[in-house]
Amino acid sequence: MMRRTRSLAPAVMIGPAAGFIGLFILVPTALTIWLSFHDWSAQTPFGTAEWVGLRNYQDIFGELSVGRDFKMALRNTAVYTMLSVVIIVPLSVVLGLIVHQRDVAGGQILRTVLFASYMVPMIAVALVWSKLYSPTEGPLNQMLGWVGIGPQTWLSAPQTALYSLVLLNVWQQIGYFTVLAVAGLTQIPATLHEAARIDGAGPVQGFFGVTLPLMRRTLLFSAVIAIINAVQVFEPVALITQGGPAGSTSVLTWHIRRVGIERSQGGLGSAMAVTLMLALIVTVTAVFALNRRGARE
Amino acid sequence: MNRGVNRMSRPARGLMALIIVALAVAAAFPLVWMVLSSFKTPEESMQIPPVWLPGSADPSAYGAVSDVIQAGRSLFNSAVIASVTTAGILVTSIMAGFAFAKYRFAGRDALFAVLIATMFLPPIVTLIPLYRMVSEMGLSGSLVGVILPNLANAFGIFLMRQFIAGVPDDLIDAARVDGASELRVVFAVVAPTIVPAIAALALFAFVYHWNTYLWPLTVLQGSERDYPIVLSLGRLLGYNRGAMNTPLVMAGATIAVLPPLALFIFLQRFFVDSMVSAAVKG
Repeated sequence: MMRRTRSLAPAVMIGPAAGFIGLFILVPTALTIWLSFHDWSAQTPFGTAEWVGLRNYQDIFGELSVGRDFKMALRNTAVYTMLSVVIIVPLSVVLGLIVHQRDVAGGQILRTVLFASYMVPMIAVALVWSKLYSPTEGPLNQMLGWVGIGPQTWLSAPQTALYSLVLLNVWQQIGYFTVLAVAGLTQIPATLHEAARIDGAGPVQGFFGVTLPLMRRTLLFSAVIAIINAVQVFEPVALITQGGPAGSTSVLTWHIRRVGIERSQGGLGSAMAVTLMLALIVTVTAVFALNRRGARE
Repeated sequence: MNRGVNRMSRPARGLMALIIVALAVAAAFPLVWMVLSSFKTPEESMQIPPVWLPGSADPSAYGAVSDVIQAGRSLFNSAVIASVTTAGILVTSIMAGFAFAKYRFAGRDALFAVLIATMFLPPIVTLIPLYRMVSEMGLSGSLVGVILPNLANAFGIFLMRQFIAGVPDDLIDAARVDGASELRVVFAVVAPTIVPAIAALALFAFVYHWNTYLWPLTVLQGSERDYPIVLSLGRLLGYNRGAMNTPLVMAGATIAVLPPLALFIFLQRFFVDSMVSAAVKG
């Protein structure tokens, strides 16, 4: 009797979690893939979907407006993600070193202030920054004026809007990645720093010879999380820019929702979502491969 | 603990102090600006060049927020969504985390890998069919529809497994010998030994689901009575669109930001420790 209960125990314990994740994440993922080969209105039951083979994929990569819009969103998302990662990861190390050092007090307070913005709803961040960026009555252009830099167009021009969203993203997320960097720094044994110093390494050599190589795993983790977070950008676009001006901030999460749910083109939206998933898998695999190659050198 | 091996010189320390202050000011600036602007009059918020400090702390924008949106109702909805979701996540994560940490069964590692993989799946990938599934269940436009799909997540399972793995087996076996059921072992014996980790998960889940926007927007479209505060903020922006509504929007944003920010500031040790252990032990 006892043994029977024991053998059922894993199923009982994991059942609720696996049931929810299965029903609300794994099943919809499979459905997204299935729907991507169908013509289907999101307002009708799944049973109404009609098989169209690869047509949705041909459309989203085609030359008509469906394809142009999707490719623009894909490109914007790629630029936004890459810029976010190449800014966030190195900056998190620099800030991590500042928080981690003990020569000057205030590191902990800096960590708190940085991390606080990560706790704030993105929608509030988007609202606040839309006012900060305001070309005329916003404070950012005024501050630039103090140091002799002319007013910037920020969100109001296609040339600058996407970069302005990257800046907003960096501000919101950097605290989290700084905390990760500090965790990585804390794990490096102090004896290694001492050994490097005895060998005559200065602080810069110590950083590149000891600290950075030993943070490889932390930085890999940070880069992957930063990528996953960046492709989810939605609130500032949905609320402030509406993808504009001139499509310059149309990003995938926003565009896929617009096509798949607001326009009910469920099949097309699903093909876009599958493409995003594949692009993510390729990117993350490439990041891991780069990391492994770097480790061998 | 030995941090900087090379001690800094005096001028270097002065420079470092200056950098820390500058960074903290830059990081805090947007939220400080938000609070300051919420106390400006609409005229002050329109001035060019911008007014930095409001002439007098004018709280009328906070009153106006309640005229445009049902702020109390929205805050209540946010609290319901965040707390019920958090409670669900705690129960499912503790149980599953226990099983993955302390049971041996066929397919365990494969199942764990599949569940953890969902942590890296952006929500947009599942959004379209999920929207349809929830509406076929008759749950669109309801708080239940917002809450139900989020009652378990991979991060919670992962975090709980990491911490429960460190709980001694002797403690668990002793409880079993005393005749405790497995559920009793989990919730009455194991859980009390990892309270800080559970608190961390609770805070994190609460803040995440207080802040989350995409899913409630999709499920609740049009059902404004059920809007959490983050959705209602969007309506503030649309109201009297233009620079005139800045104090109103900033007051609304301040109200929405306050609960998660206060939780973080008072309980940040839990947050930061859990983030660190999740990253380090992973």
